[in-house]
Amino acid sequence: MASEVRAPSDALPNAPVELRRDVSIWGSFTWGYADVGADVYVALGLVMGAAHGATPLAFAAAGFVYILIGFAYTELASAYPVAGGGQYYTLRGLGDIWGFITGAALLLDYTIDIALFATASAGYINFFFPAIQSYGVDIGPFHGINLIWAAESLLLIVFLMILNIRGIRESSLFNSLIGALDMVLESTIIVLGFLFAWKPEMVVMQFKNEFPSAEQFFYAVSVAIISYVGLESISQAAQETRRPATIIPRTSVSLIFVVLLFAMAFPVLSLGILPWQTLAERESDPVAVLASAIPYVGFLAGHAAAVLGATIVLISANTGVMGASRLTYSMSECHLLSPWFNAVHPKYRTPVRSVVFFSGVAAVEAAFSFLSGPKAMDTMVNMYAFGATLAYFMSFIALIALRIKDPYTPRPYRMPFNIKIKGVYIPVLGIVGAFATLGMLGVVIWTHALGRIAGPGWILLWLGVYLWYRWRNKLPVLSSVRHDWEKEQIAILTSAEEFDLLEQYKLALTERNKKEAKHASK
Amino acid sequence: MIDLIDLINPLGAVIALFFVVSLISILWWMLHPPVYIPAAAAKARRSVFAVKRILVPTVGLPYAERGVELACRLGAEQGAEILLIYVVEVPRTMPLGIPLPDAEQEGNQALDRASSIVKLHGLPSQRILQRARLAGEEIARIARERDIDMIILGIRSEPGLRDAILGRTSDIILRHSPCEVVIDKLPKEA
Repeated sequence: MASEVRAPSDALPNAPVELRRDVSIWGSFTWGYADVGADVYVALGLVMGAAHGATPLAFAAAGFVYILIGFAYTELASAYPVAGGGQYYTLRGLGDIWGFITGAALLLDYTIDIALFATASAGYINFFFPAIQSYGVDIGPFHGINLIWAAESLLLIVFLMILNIRGIRESSLFNSLIGALDMVLESTIIVLGFLFAWKPEMVVMQFKNEFPSAEQFFYAVSVAIISYVGLESISQAAQETRRPATIIPRTSVSLIFVVLLFAMAFPVLSLGILPWQTLAERESDPVAVLASAIPYVGFLAGHAAAVLGATIVLISANTGVMGASRLTYSMSECHLLSPWFNAVHPKYRTPVRSVVFFSGVAAVEAAFSFLSGPKAMDTMVNMYAFGATLAYFMSFIALIALRIKDPYTPRPYRMPFNIKIKGVYIPVLGIVGAFATLGMLGVVIWTHALGRIAGPGWILLWLGVYLWYRWRNKLPVLSSVRHDWEKEQIAILTSAEEFDLLEQYKLALTERNKKEAKHASK
Repeated sequence: MIDLIDLINPLGAVIALFFVVSLISILWWMLHPPVYIPAAAAKARRSVFAVKRILVPTVGLPYAERGVELACRLGAEQGAEILLIYVVEVPRTMPLGIPLPDAEQEGNQALDRASSIVKLHGLPSQRILQRARLAGEEIARIARERDIDMIILGIRSEPGLRDAILGRTSDIILRHSPCEVVIDKLPKEA
């Protein structure tokens, strides 16, 4: 992720600030993998705690929704290769205010991502200090607060904030390296585990005897969805990816299946090696505990998994900091947020205000979560799931709307199973996905006590900021700013150097104009 | 070593193998994207892709039928419509509507053969049997009227009587056609 905000050149002082296209194919994949690949390190213990013997089933159910989300994002990101992800697609498909609501949901996720994964990273560090894991003090009405773990998490957030203000070009290489190392280690754990320690009868026994209640199961599915959150990051980096419309479908589809492989392999392996309770008790470092249980190499693999776990989840937190800054960049470009957030540091050329602001928000979220006692991570997951499911639901609606409103934009990748009605391809799986994510949002609101209050509260708070900003700047408050989307799409494809798609788009527009002229002359 | 092999669960080994093969296949596919297309190449590529209606005049001779095959191949990717035309030239000394059963039968046979070539490619087609004083003028008029994107013309390999490469019909089409014209001329030996 060597990309950074490109400042206007001296020759063109008024030229718009652009993002540099530095992200390669492997970089694009690891950008997403750093975010999504880390999730299983956090989700495994949490889902085990709720789904018990049915954990693989919970991951599979969430995985089905994830595949649909993945396909939708792949289509949208390759058709509209710009920063902003779900927020941009929703704005284009449904209008400014809906784009803002999706953006606010994603901002919630990015800040929680920073807080949650910094906390998880500290949790993996504490694998080497078991005394810290059981530490807890009572402060007033709050019980069992692990002050040391909280302090470690806050320190990591501050560290990430400083790192992002300084701007780290080397982080791309570091990220790619850690991503590759992590995949090798995770694969080693899985292969050695299945070969030498896995007992299928243990999986069957736990599945039969330790099945959760319906409410617990649905809760687990809504938590399991967090193992797949992060695909959005690839879309956020679209404006910095070389040949995005060609590369992004490849990296997204690969990421979908790689993450699904890991997310399905870990729970099946875990239940065949350890009782679910062992992993549920260690929600802060479940993969390290699992690796320790592999014969012969466990003593080494456990420690290696803890070190790598701490690193990969920290990178995931780092993706949160960068994702929030890309998102605010896109939101202010679209007149949804004040350009105040886009101010670039005079020396380091990084979006310093958005980095400090959203890292600060993440620190506050982490601090509040620790007040809930030993279940700090669970608390953050509540809000994480709300933001993700809301943003995904809106993106599905945008996908359907854009198929109808903008059939001329070439889609290098199209979601499978479509019905052609009056020249428009209606995505059947997109409709299924919209219902699935709406259902998931319902489950989150039903089962997550905190998510149903804090999530909508966050959206309303930001909506207030949006209305005030639009009113103050004499922009349409409830309707949308006028856009020439065709001109913008040509600019996007030209800037992305996707010339084949550009010509395809121009031809489609010419043909449409011809048809319209013919129709008018009749 | 023997202890280790004894520990291996056969089902576990199958799952581990499936996992490794799937992972490697996915990453290999990801790292081999299609090649980059520069702007000029993209323009050329898409301009051919924009050809949606191709008109192919036929006279029922092998060089004209080769033109039909070429048209099908050029239009295959974008599913272009192939319009086959046979013009019966009626001399000015006769009325245009005069019965010419032999010439029309010959025309229909030529169109049948051309249609069978198009059918092989699974492309939509139309057949036009038309009378005119000058075949070239009629073909250019049809091209204008039917919004044709391209005319593909197979011409004889031997020069005509006046030692000209292009015959009268080809010459008129080239001069009066409103769209792109592709001429296919085989070498003499062929």
